[in-house]
Amino acid sequence: MSHPIAIEVPPPPLERRRRGTKKFRWRISTLAAPIAAYLFLFFIVPFGVILWYSFGFKPSLYGTHDNSVLSFDRYAEVFGNADFFAIFGKTLWISIFGAAVTLLIAYPVAYWMAKILTPRSRNIVLVLVLIPYWTNFLIRTLGWQIALNQNGFISRILQDLGLLNGPLEFLYTNQAVQLGVVYNYLPLMILPIYVTLEQLDWRLLEANSDLGGNAISGFLRVTLPLSMPGIGAGLMLVFVPLMGDYITPEILGGTKGTMVGQLVASQFKTAQNWALGSAMAITLMLFILAVVVVSTWILRLGVRIAKRANRIVLPELVIEGK
Amino acid sequence: MTTVGIESSQSGIPTQERRAPVKAGKVALWIWGIIGLLFLFFPVLVIIAYSFNSGNNLQIWEGFSLQPYLNAISRPDLLAPVGVSFRAATGSALLSAILGTFAGIALARSQKSRWLPALVGLLGLVMVTPEIVNAVSLLPWFVTLGKDMGFVIFNDGIVRLVVGHSLFSSAVVTFVVRARVAGLNPQLEEAAADLGANPLRRFIDVTLPLIAPAAVSGALLSFTLSLDNTVLSSFISVANSNSWPVYVWASVKSTLRPEIAAMSTLLLLFTILVLVIVALVLVRASKRTGGDDANLSSMLG
Repeated sequence: MSHPIAIEVPPPPLERRRRGTKKFRWRISTLAAPIAAYLFLFFIVPFGVILWYSFGFKPSLYGTHDNSVLSFDRYAEVFGNADFFAIFGKTLWISIFGAAVTLLIAYPVAYWMAKILTPRSRNIVLVLVLIPYWTNFLIRTLGWQIALNQNGFISRILQDLGLLNGPLEFLYTNQAVQLGVVYNYLPLMILPIYVTLEQLDWRLLEANSDLGGNAISGFLRVTLPLSMPGIGAGLMLVFVPLMGDYITPEILGGTKGTMVGQLVASQFKTAQNWALGSAMAITLMLFILAVVVVSTWILRLGVRIAKRANRIVLPELVIEGK
Repeated sequence: MTTVGIESSQSGIPTQERRAPVKAGKVALWIWGIIGLLFLFFPVLVIIAYSFNSGNNLQIWEGFSLQPYLNAISRPDLLAPVGVSFRAATGSALLSAILGTFAGIALARSQKSRWLPALVGLLGLVMVTPEIVNAVSLLPWFVTLGKDMGFVIFNDGIVRLVVGHSLFSSAVVTFVVRARVAGLNPQLEEAAADLGANPLRRFIDVTLPLIAPAAVSGALLSFTLSLDNTVLSSFISVANSNSWPVYVWASVKSTLRPEIAAMSTLLLLFTILVLVIVALVLVRASKRTGGDDANLSSMLG
């Protein structure tokens, strides 16, 4: 039985097989059609809808939006509003400062994980970093609210130790929001830096010390430049959601608005002014997009400059080594 | 000490001077790393501790009690939102896994396409869009679809949550699967083709089993992302089908009871279980196919 079948079905000739592959390739790009349709329907179109709303106005006390007269007035309202500007500036400051502090805390942790720990304990620590990250964002923030409460245990301990005269007045301040965002986005900084450091070829550091470099020059000339992709990814991953954060300031910052996310939300939820809310949301999104594009560009430029600088430095090292 | 002396004479640099700061640096890194982990765990431990609070207000400790746990697993008003969350998470995991796996294969394999680079840009845009912007844009759109255009399916709370949660997750799954497909050995498929398998057979018998770990971990990741989603959910959810985070969010505005912490602790245990399963799936897959185990980190996308 097997013999005649083997003759009847020879391996497909080369030409036919190639054609088959070509046909497969054509089909393969259509595999992306469902996600494209989905994103069109639930990302592009809804965005188009709020873009449209942002050119309208709030018609009456109970109406949310009206597009019978189109104008840029809502954007003028956004940019002319001192409160919006103040909160936007505050948000930007919290985001930049938060991303910087997160980086300073995360880098040594990631370095410790990638360089000092053994591969086995490294995976355990990785899971330990992920567990708080996978705990509900809102619940984690509530944990801080409980701890930092005026009548919470930290307040009581500090008072018992005599370090504090009255109750702890930390919750519902900008500093509390700052602490909350640094905490909430820390894993998003640790992980990408860890991934780049883990893939780093540590023999380069040995080469540096063989060539007479010390630990500091090794870090500045080898480790730091090579971990730039991770740092860049981490800064993006922290900065972007931080700019739009709404939960952390609501829980730790109290009722007075501290961040733009709260302003956007309040226009839709309480003020019922969808036109103005849309204009704010679009302004926020365009701003974040601009930051992402510009900083990616700066980062690429920085890496290029660092590479060029290293190329000049290396021969000097050789001479020093001798 | 003597051996150290010999080593130092060989390298020409006094070892003690060179080693001492290195060792101090190592100790400092250990301390920093452990403090970092404690910092990460601090509020989680606070929630777990306060979940045993016998009082009525979560924030005010009164005494130890297991009552919050008994309440958490018996009160229907607490179980209903958890049920909604799980249904939405399952739907979102399936939708994201299907959309993302297909798109990931397409992005990794299709070379000559004009619109795929645009899709990559769009997926990037989805990932950098703040959740609040998605939330405020989806809310009016769902109302338009469901009420004005008559697609009543979009008046359903679960459908809304599934569609909304899959925006970010399907983009993440796409990139995870793309990385996996790009790392596959193309000779495996060529071998199948040489043995006479048609494209569909090749895909089902060779490609799909190889990318399954990425698709599965992507689906589980979407599941946990969906369980965590608060901002988007609180905007698009429909009365009577609030998800668990939306329920907690609403309680923040009124009173937080210890049951909420108890339920959160149970959900955390569940999440750890999922995390362990993901890790095992990835480790097994990397052993079988010889891939690198850095995939665990790619879970974040």
